[in-house]
Amino acid sequence: MGKPKVAFFDFACCEGCQIEMTNYGAEPFLELLNHVEIVEFREAMTEKTTEPIDIAFIEGSFTRECDRARLEEIRERAAIVIAYGQCATTGGINALKNHQDDYKEYVYGTDSDMPHLDSQKAYGVDAAIKVDYYAYGCPVNKYEVLQIVLHLLHGKEPVIPNYPVCVECKRRETVCRFLEGDHCMGMVARAGCTAPCPAAGIPCEACRGFVDDPNIPALEKVLVEQAGFTPQRAHEKGRMFTANALEATS
Amino acid sequence: MKKVSIDPITRLEGHGKIEIFVDDNGEVANVYFQIPELRGFERFCVGRPVEELARITPRICGVCPEAHHMAAAKAIDACYGAEPTRTGKMLREILYNAFSAADHTTHFFVLAAPDFVVGPMADPAERNILGLIAKVGPEAGGKVIQMRAWSHELIEIIGGRSVHPVSTVPGGVSKPLSKEEAARVKEIADYQVEFAQFAIEIFNQVVLGNSEYVDLIMSDMYAHKTYYMGVVDENNKVNFYDGDIRVVDPDGKEFVKFAPDDYLQHITERVEPYSYLVYPYLTGVGWKGFVDGKDSGVYRAAPLARLNAADGMSTPLAQAEYERYFETLGGKPVHATLATHWARLVELLYAAERTQDLANDPDVTSTDIHSMPTGITGEGIGVVEAPRGTLYHHYKTDENGFVTACNLIVGTTNNNAAISMSLKKAAQGLIQPGGEISEGLLNEVEMAFRAYDPCFGCATHTLFGEMPLEVAVREQSTGEVLNTVRRFV
Ligand code: SF4
Ligand code: SF4
Ligand code: SF4
Repeated sequence: MGKPKVAFFDFACCEGCQIEMTNYGAEPFLELLNHVEIVEFREAMTEKTTEPIDIAFIEGSFTRECDRARLEEIRERAAIVIAYGQCATTGGINALKNHQDDYKEYVYGTDSDMPHLDSQKAYGVDAAIKVDYYAYGCPVNKYEVLQIVLHLLHGKEPVIPNYPVCVECKRRETVCRFLEGDHCMGMVARAGCTAPCPAAGIPCEACRGFVDDPNIPALEKVLVEQAGFTPQRAHEKGRMFTANALEATS
Repeated sequence: MKKVSIDPITRLEGHGKIEIFVDDNGEVANVYFQIPELRGFERFCVGRPVEELARITPRICGVCPEAHHMAAAKAIDACYGAEPTRTGKMLREILYNAFSAADHTTHFFVLAAPDFVVGPMADPAERNILGLIAKVGPEAGGKVIQMRAWSHELIEIIGGRSVHPVSTVPGGVSKPLSKEEAARVKEIADYQVEFAQFAIEIFNQVVLGNSEYVDLIMSDMYAHKTYYMGVVDENNKVNFYDGDIRVVDPDGKEFVKFAPDDYLQHITERVEPYSYLVYPYLTGVGWKGFVDGKDSGVYRAAPLARLNAADGMSTPLAQAEYERYFETLGGKPVHATLATHWARLVELLYAAERTQDLANDPDVTSTDIHSMPTGITGEGIGVVEAPRGTLYHHYKTDENGFVTACNLIVGTTNNNAAISMSLKKAAQGLIQPGGEISEGLLNEVEMAFRAYDPCFGCATHTLFGEMPLEVAVREQSTGEVLNTVRRFV
């Protein structure tokens, strides 16, 4: 058997996740190339090619109905679909517009009706197709992506954390933001990033989304009681990377 | 009038679309293009607490998140009346220069160098980073990968994360640099300087050593005599992080120098019919259309412009290279757009040296890393030199620090008019009556683009070759497709 074929596709996003993947450094990068074949973008993108792909990585949100066909086509060709990055897994920061209805006018003014500016609410790509695995984060944690690929190459199920960032934060013995008079969302945010933000003195903004079934009322209560937020701000806080999850729970 | 659309795959919302308008004689009448839309950022920042903008706006672009992070940080300082401490400012500037060096490296080795090193006429399949490595040897490839990896390690040490750093707070940064971290930062900075010299060496050998390439640079392909804009320090030397904005005229004389807070008095954003992109121009000169010359308010930004707009570099090695650059290219200002590639290397060397200087300052490990907000001022403007041009962030807030308005001029936008002019030159003569497109169009358009390093997501996808382009020639009245050429990457 030849090396598994891996291809990358992107939709509405900042491409930061792709950039993150170019920062491995020589050794892991070249080692990875020994085990998988990265299908050239040219080949991957030519609509006429129907060559099967073993692993398709999809970056970016599903935000235009006209992208549905392209997503379906990728799904048909790919044995495994991995949504990578928060844009693709949950809609990520793009979903921050979902509760607003005038953003297009705000950005484009009277030109906002032009068809190529067509844009609807932003969702993860699983709003259009079935996704097999999720690599969370804005951007992804490149080592976590590597782990996912390694597991798949060995025929194992990748392990994706479903416990809060606080666990990883405690593990690296960071002083809690709340003890410094700050706020944080680590207690409902999905771990897997090794909690770099609190360690750098910045609150966790849940850029990897929430754990399954987050206790949002408790989060809001803590933000009001411990961090002195107004209830409105406490509610809005969760929107930054998790707008869709927030709508689903409220 | 017929309409030609060159569409680098519109898969991303409204991403990089070029529209060429052709009259009935087949003459190119005008060219418009657009950079990635902001995905609604200016709108959805409204209502957020202003301090979050330092972590929301970087998500506009994964290629230059550090630029947005820093412009946002400076605008937020102003919104809170928090002047950064010396060390806070130093740490930000180290991060920022390390990023600029890494970004220039990517552009040169991944996007530009393959054109030169492998040869502009080579098969596109070889004209990519892999072809480059085949030509200059695998050690060079290894050095580039190490440069990127180490630079991002430095960004992570100071910024908390590598892509989308998080660590700025009003008045400085959130985390001091430990002694061990400082030692590593120094080591990385030393490597950056060494790497920059190596990059210039390659350029000397491969490009300057080949008279064909020198002629190509000097040819007036895409040359435009425009105004030039760049941020300068108190000695009129290039500075990426802080300073006033200086504009020189097409003869190289200072036209105006203004503080970031006054940008609205000096720059007007023009909206063109048929285009949904703004074309900034110099208010003091006025808009005369897509033309160059002293009477036209079209200006350019980014490396070519920054070297033209400044009096020199503040670090010794870069200054020497700066002098050699102008001597070789026939004095100031340089109008040849393709010289941008060399200018970028001069800046790469400067950024590396600047990082090194700051990393060697004993104050770098001080714990006086941020000041305290003095109150909410209601408005803030932050300007930095992004790799692709002067970046402006302008916020207004209510009395609680929640954003009420947000205006961004991203780097590439400054060059919109000039890019349209260069594209027009490239397209002229390549589109024949009846909508026939000659072979060379894609290549020419691509070269014109690349020199500007527009922050098209797709322009950064060239790891495997050229930009994805799709050209469709249509009858404007009926929309009927007469001809299409496409190339996916
Ligand atoms: S998840 Fe974040 S880093 Fe990744 S593409 Fe989306 S905005 Fe960029
Ligand atoms: S800083 Fe945040 S992530 Fe860390 S323990 Fe506190 S709440 Fe949890
Ligand atoms: S700590 Fe929170 S915001 Fe930071 S990377 Fe992890 S999930 Fe994202």
